Amino acid sequence: MASSAISIRGVSKRFAGRDDASGTLALARVDLEVRKGEVLMLLGPSGCGKSTLLNIIAGFLAPSEGEVLQDGALVSRPDPRRTVVFQDYALFPWKSVQENVEFGLKAKGVPKADRRRRAREVLRTVRLNGFEERYPHELSGGMKQRAAIARAIAVDPEVLLMDEPFGALDAQTRVLLQEELARISAETGMTIIFVTHSIDEAVFLGDRIVVMSARPGRIRELHDVSLSRPRLPDIRSDPEFRRLADGLWESLRKDWQHEASQVAAAV
Amino acid sequence: MWSGWRRLRRWALRLAGLGTLVVVWQTLSSLGYLNTLLFPPPSAVAATLIDLLRDGSLLENSWASIQRVLAGFAMASIVGIAFGILLGWSELASEVLKPIIEVIRPIPPIAWTPLAILWFGVGNSPSYFLVFIGAVFPVFVNTYVAVRGIEKSQINAALCLGARPMLILTDVIVPAALPMIFPGLRIALGVGWMCVVAAELIAAQSGLGYMIQQSRMMLMTSSVLAGMLTIGAIGYAANSLMLMLERRVMRWRSEAVS
Repeated sequence: MASSAISIRGVSKRFAGRDDASGTLALARVDLEVRKGEVLMLLGPSGCGKSTLLNIIAGFLAPSEGEVLQDGALVSRPDPRRTVVFQDYALFPWKSVQENVEFGLKAKGVPKADRRRRAREVLRTVRLNGFEERYPHELSGGMKQRAAIARAIAVDPEVLLMDEPFGALDAQTRVLLQEELARISAETGMTIIFVTHSIDEAVFLGDRIVVMSARPGRIRELHDVSLSRPRLPDIRSDPEFRRLADGLWESLRKDWQHEASQVAAAV
Repeated sequence: MWSGWRRLRRWALRLAGLGTLVVVWQTLSSLGYLNTLLFPPPSAVAATLIDLLRDGSLLENSWASIQRVLAGFAMASIVGIAFGILLGWSELASEVLKPIIEVIRPIPPIAWTPLAILWFGVGNSPSYFLVFIGAVFPVFVNTYVAVRGIEKSQINAALCLGARPMLILTDVIVPAALPMIFPGLRIALGVGWMCVVAAELIAAQSGLGYMIQQSRMMLMTSSVLAGMLTIGAIGYAANSLMLMLERRVMRWRSEAVS
């Protein structure tokens, strides 16, 4: 247990309802140990509480019950030891790419020259060198997300939290960024907790996959991914990859059919 | 080359509109359709403008009005932005202060004139006060709405990167709100300019408002019109200056627009 980066113990989250006093139970008694250096994927239909869980781990939300520990210390608020990459990038549009990446270092009080050097180094890692002086609106979606990843890893977090980071990107960019992230995670050995909607993404990136079920959100299955590292593009044609992906698809099919019919009913 | 022509054409059209107005106005006066005592022709107004420029009184009165607006506007900007951020940020401050502000806000600045005179007498002070009252609400409302509308994920991004409240204020909240604060400042400057003239009509011994009021009493209609035109011209110039400043400060944004 000493090798846990994050311990989630009996975490429930209830959101206050508008009419009924009981509200909505978004998460019900979640227990999970996240190992140091692993890439853990949270997979499930929308409404399964996977983003809520991520927000609790980040310290943006307090759990209604239970607790989250990082290295044995209680998580009570956001901290640069756990940084977040958001689906909508959340870059600061008034700052250049360079300044965005420097932000966390500036908050830490790192001297300007060191900040510059570190930001350039990280931008090279995400292959954005040459775009330091650009503003976010001048970048494509994929490049924005690279910049956001650079900003999040510039402060050397122990855990990187990613909330459907590639959800807004087109299919090709998405695959490219998944491959980039596989490389970055192999290079840095950072612990990554990654929320996703996509089975393919979960199998490609994850060391373990947590399947969550909806209303209330709870952990339904936990799969080990035994594919070798580093993950290279051709691993998608590995029989083990297909076997895992097909199994997850079978297991999640009912939830997604339910979700689709609800969307249809709402329309 | 083409854009040069298009610009020339646009300016020609603008001047044509203005020119036609002046020509029609002058012609109607010459033909005797207008009472030149109550509505003097452009030629007379122009002559008066030149006279007022020569004897220095136009510049003197303009400057008196301008510095009053600047003083009131500066106070209004500071107070409006500060309260906008405070109420936009703090639910508690918003609950407590919003009702007070919402009751005072609909009172037209003119309605404050009697109080302004009672409190401050005649001179610069009531003008500062009235400009402040007129200008503070547009600044406040725009800042408040802007701060309220800041993306939660941007604040969260700053928090998880370890930013303390002061850094969040200077590096996230203020720049995020600036695109809305600026139009608020521009509106406020316009309102402030209207308020200073209103204040000077009643409670001052100098300024463009005072000048046109004095001219009315002496039935110097062309001076009244000259003063009014000056008020319009300075207001227009102030607005253009603010627009220029806005584009400079938010270069990260205007590039996207242009």
